[in-house]
Amino acid sequence: MDDKQNANPTILSLSDLPSRRRESNVKRRDDGATGLFDDLIPQYSYLNDPFEQPLSSSDSDDGSVEDIDEQEVYDLISSISDPEHPLSLGSLAVVNLPDIHIQPPSSPHSSISTVLVEITPTITHCSLATVIGLGVRVRLEQALPPRFRVDVRIKKGTHSTDEAVNKQLGDKERVAAALENGTLMGVLRKMLSTCE
Amino acid sequence: MASPPSTDDASTPRHASAPSHTIRALATLTPPSNSRTWQTAPHPSSPIVATACSDRTVRVYSLTSFTLLHSITGGHKRSVRSVSWKPHVRGQDVLATGSFDASAGIWRRQQNRLETEITGEGGDDEEEEDEYQFACILDGHESEIKSLNWSPSGQYLATCSRDKSVWLWEELEEDNFETVAVLQEHDGDVKCVAWHPEEDLLVSASYDDTVRLYREDADDWVQVSCITGHKKTVWWAEFEGSALSKKDFRAQRDKLAEEQTRHMEELEKSGPRLATCSDDCTVRIWRRKARERGHGTNDGIPSIIRSSAIDEDWYEEAVLPQRHERAVYSVSWSQRTGMIVSAGSDGKIIVYKEKWKTPSPGKLDATKVNGDGNTTVPDVDAPLTEWVVVAELFSAHDVFEVNHVVWADRADKGKREGEEVILSTGDDGEVRVWVLDEQQEVAP
Repeated sequence: MDDKQNANPTILSLSDLPSRRRESNVKRRDDGATGLFDDLIPQYSYLNDPFEQPLSSSDSDDGSVEDIDEQEVYDLISSISDPEHPLSLGSLAVVNLPDIHIQPPSSPHSSISTVLVEITPTITHCSLATVIGLGVRVRLEQALPPRFRVDVRIKKGTHSTDEAVNKQLGDKERVAAALENGTLMGVLRKMLSTCE
Repeated sequence: MASPPSTDDASTPRHASAPSHTIRALATLTPPSNSRTWQTAPHPSSPIVATACSDRTVRVYSLTSFTLLHSITGGHKRSVRSVSWKPHVRGQDVLATGSFDASAGIWRRQQNRLETEITGEGGDDEEEEDEYQFACILDGHESEIKSLNWSPSGQYLATCSRDKSVWLWEELEEDNFETVAVLQEHDGDVKCVAWHPEEDLLVSASYDDTVRLYREDADDWVQVSCITGHKKTVWWAEFEGSALSKKDFRAQRDKLAEEQTRHMEELEKSGPRLATCSDDCTVRIWRRKARERGHGTNDGIPSIIRSSAIDEDWYEEAVLPQRHERAVYSVSWSQRTGMIVSAGSDGKIIVYKEKWKTPSPGKLDATKVNGDGNTTVPDVDAPLTEWVVVAELFSAHDVFEVNHVVWADRADKGKREGEEVILSTGDDGEVRVWVLDEQQEVAP
């Protein structure tokens, strides 16, 4: 396991993650601050305990027009596992509540809403950024009603090849083909196994 | 992909000109697929269509009864992305299928029920018929085939792939295909290939945001033009039909101004134009700069490298009124009326029509409306024609994306003379059939 792209990621503690219950207590990670030894803190496996998961809306895909907000989207994707660490994307601050934007339909004739998620890879050259982005897109396309269009992008300036990754993630045909790739699907399934 | 919608909002609720037509639902082809459908190809002469499905099958439907006639299964290992009927085949139907499994398949079926399919009568009693038989497989691409298309003569089949290449195949004898060319000009996935209706001129559209044209030069297929202008992935390219000047806005020849007559002559020299659509939410029209005769060939320079005389200059003639808010996946040019239909991720279907600009193009209407500065229009005159939206339909496939849209001849009992339908293919697995009705003028 020495070949991890980022062997020492910064990790947020569970109490710092945004949730519906403690909204006033949402604390943003201060980039560039300490965090150097954070990975020494042991036993994060409890994050993956199914009983600890915030109740997400896997029961809400009946297509009814009930409002879905950013927190709900966050809950759906923050529990996805990082492909190389036994940690969630939420605790690694790869997905952050302020970087989730929901746009309502642009016209009364339309029922299409848009969810934009900007992800922050743990290091600027992480080649797994595409896989992480794909996991987020797949998770939301499976869990949200089909009236949502899901756009996943790398947060500007956080990744060396963000434009190229964004273009891939935005390409429906490439995403569809990727999901027919057994190896890649295996990785995604593992990442998503900590959801629900 | 949509840019942050807040900036788009201002431009969407534009009702400058009320649509003159309505798009009315005629039928849904039944039974639909229960997973995403990608593209639907109308047969060149029979009232049937083939639909490429993500469940690895192709479904052949009747346009007279709107029901499923055949399911072509057991061939591809992954999604079928593209289908194309071979034109000018007698006695049988020949279908090419392109798949995410990187292969293309050729399928044949004897036409033993010619009479029912041609007349459009008795479409209901299609019973046990001969199935489509797998004929051969075309291997060569390294990754997913995205599109394939037969040339108008049926001589060539073009395929394109995520491996950035375009392959040209020629059928030497039945089921014996030879690779004529492998064109590797693009820097990204090639999304679509299409043919000029009158010349062996091939176009490809790509993930690298460009559109490229190729033709044969001394036994070698070479790129003759590279079109830039779209800012994102170009999803589809399609040429205008042949001899449209007798059918579209040019059909009315009375009382034309001098410039209008000249415009029509120039357009005739350019030949059929090209329509493309993109992730940048636009649909654009490209036109070939008419070649000046006898120029460039006899300039005394011996040609060791290929002659540049074969190069073509295609420039942007128009950007259609922008009504799409997300990627435009497909655009189709009516062979009968010259109207254009487009559809995409926002679930809308938009129909556009070209017309002479009013008020009459007399004196310098200097405002240049087409283009956005990328391509220079060689003629300094302001455009004489404009494209207007004649119909706009929201949620054509409920909340789902529309992957493909195409015109086809209407074939059911309610058809009017020379009428066309629009076929849309969606993520919901459905192919829907629409008619375009002219709206009655309602007195206020």
